[in-house]
Amino acid sequence: MADGVSAQRPLPKLGSYIDTKEFWEGARRGKLMLQYCTETQRFQHYPRPNSLYTGRRTIEWREASGFGTVYSWTMTRSAWPGHEARLPYICAYVDLDEKIRFLCNLVDCSETDVTIGMPVEVRWDRLSDDIVFPDFAPRRSWK
Amino acid sequence: MYPDFKLKLHGWTKSTEIVHLYEYAYNRTKNSERHEWSGRFLGGCMRDVAITGYAETKIDVRSGRLSYELAGDVLDELLRRFNVDKSEIDGLSVSETMSESANPFWAQYMADVLGITPSWLELMGLGGVSSIGGVARAALAIRAGMCSIAVVLASDAQSSGLTPEQGAQRHEFQYPTGLRGPVGAFGMIMRRYDHLYGLNPRALARLAVTQRGHALLNDNACPRLRKPISEEDYLSSKLVSDPLRVLDSVMVCDGANAVLMMSAKQAAKRGLKAIYPTAYAELSHYKLTEPMTEITESGFKVVGPKALRQAGLSVSDIQSFHPYDDFLIAIMLQLEHIGFCEQGKGADFVLDTDMTFKGRLPLNTGGGQISAGQPGLAGGGLNLIEAVRQMFGEGGPRQIQNIRNSMVTGIGGIPYARNWGTSAVMILEQ
Repeated sequence: MADGVSAQRPLPKLGSYIDTKEFWEGARRGKLMLQYCTETQRFQHYPRPNSLYTGRRTIEWREASGFGTVYSWTMTRSAWPGHEARLPYICAYVDLDEKIRFLCNLVDCSETDVTIGMPVEVRWDRLSDDIVFPDFAPRRSWK
Repeated sequence: MYPDFKLKLHGWTKSTEIVHLYEYAYNRTKNSERHEWSGRFLGGCMRDVAITGYAETKIDVRSGRLSYELAGDVLDELLRRFNVDKSEIDGLSVSETMSESANPFWAQYMADVLGITPSWLELMGLGGVSSIGGVARAALAIRAGMCSIAVVLASDAQSSGLTPEQGAQRHEFQYPTGLRGPVGAFGMIMRRYDHLYGLNPRALARLAVTQRGHALLNDNACPRLRKPISEEDYLSSKLVSDPLRVLDSVMVCDGANAVLMMSAKQAAKRGLKAIYPTAYAELSHYKLTEPMTEITESGFKVVGPKALRQAGLSVSDIQSFHPYDDFLIAIMLQLEHIGFCEQGKGADFVLDTDMTFKGRLPLNTGGGQISAGQPGLAGGGLNLIEAVRQMFGEGGPRQIQNIRNSMVTGIGGIPYARNWGTSAVMILEQ
């Protein structure tokens, strides 16, 4: 897979199911923002209207470390519509230090580099003037 | 109905204890409460409601036919073969589809189009669980007196229609990554399984070849898939989402299927064969509040043992296995989670067990979705129909010799960063 990031993908439709402004505003500033349940002291992702744990609206947004490890990954050789120009690309589940699993692309690495458990960190892909999307890449100090 | 049920279980030593418990509890329950009580023990060895007929179209890819027409075919077959008049059908469960579900009144339209005036009408939106889930709910509706003769219908022309949008978090947190839907999600499961236990491709190849062998004997299987394959064909098939290959997956097709249900008493009156759904367990969103749970584990760890307990059976009693098969790895995971073998030992089990229709544990004897074709969201009914057909003794060249029971399963929905949404197990008994 090519190094670096690619803008050749469909833009996310922001706020298409709940208000996710905090996430996308954070992304523009290079901060990975996650929902945090103040009652159970646990993070959650994807964003939901209520706490996944209590069912109450006991949630606020907090900045996450941006660090995690690869839980699993797959080399995509047949594209999801709109991603044809990026083939092949790596999709991964990353377990963040905040104890949530995050679906993302792994960038700046080839399939021979990737191992389960590999430390990774967030990288920001500027898709448009307004939209920045999180990818993950091998942690610099580790590589 | 009750003495009949007791008689049928006579001689099943493993069921004896359950029978006694059931008898004790049933006799202690006031008449007026028995319906409610039975509902809580859906199935639970009950033989008061039966599947008395089944129908299925041929499966084909881009058939150019649409869901209503395909549904018309199966209704016609049910009425023609199973001694029931359209005017007698007062219950209808309709599965959601990929091709028509943009219509929010889909079930209501389907009843209208087919000329049915149900007093119980259900829209099932559990993906591959919709058919067995529909059977379970129809049994409850019949017991509760909401209807007396029900059709559980699934019809989808996914390969000829437009796929509707699932929305929610997908537009923001899934689609921009290009994860290739179920194929990508199961590629992740396979990679994780390989990491934890070692993935033996030979076992997956064996499953592929076994099911394909069955499809060759199934006239309803998609013609494009009715060609023999070897284990080498599987092992050399194209990688789509490593380590997942083309031959790990289903091909999306068009097709429809339905079962007919009524009380055992009605079935006897009409001289119809009767198959009893004696156990059913369903669970959506296993370990949802544990975001870092293993994706190689699933709700089948709960619903498999639960359904077996309801039926008073153990896995070694199961005489044919009809698991939901969107991907080969899903079959292996279900074998492990339901308890046919230990977690991580699925490959050994598959390689040591003859799973052909002649074998110790016949597997998806119509070819399953992977080798007969997946008729969109009607796919959950495909393996159910095959189990009923076999239990009616109508399996033709692939008939299983001894088949007092079958286990049929369903998987529905692919959520964010987990494995699947709903897991369900139904046990059918003679």
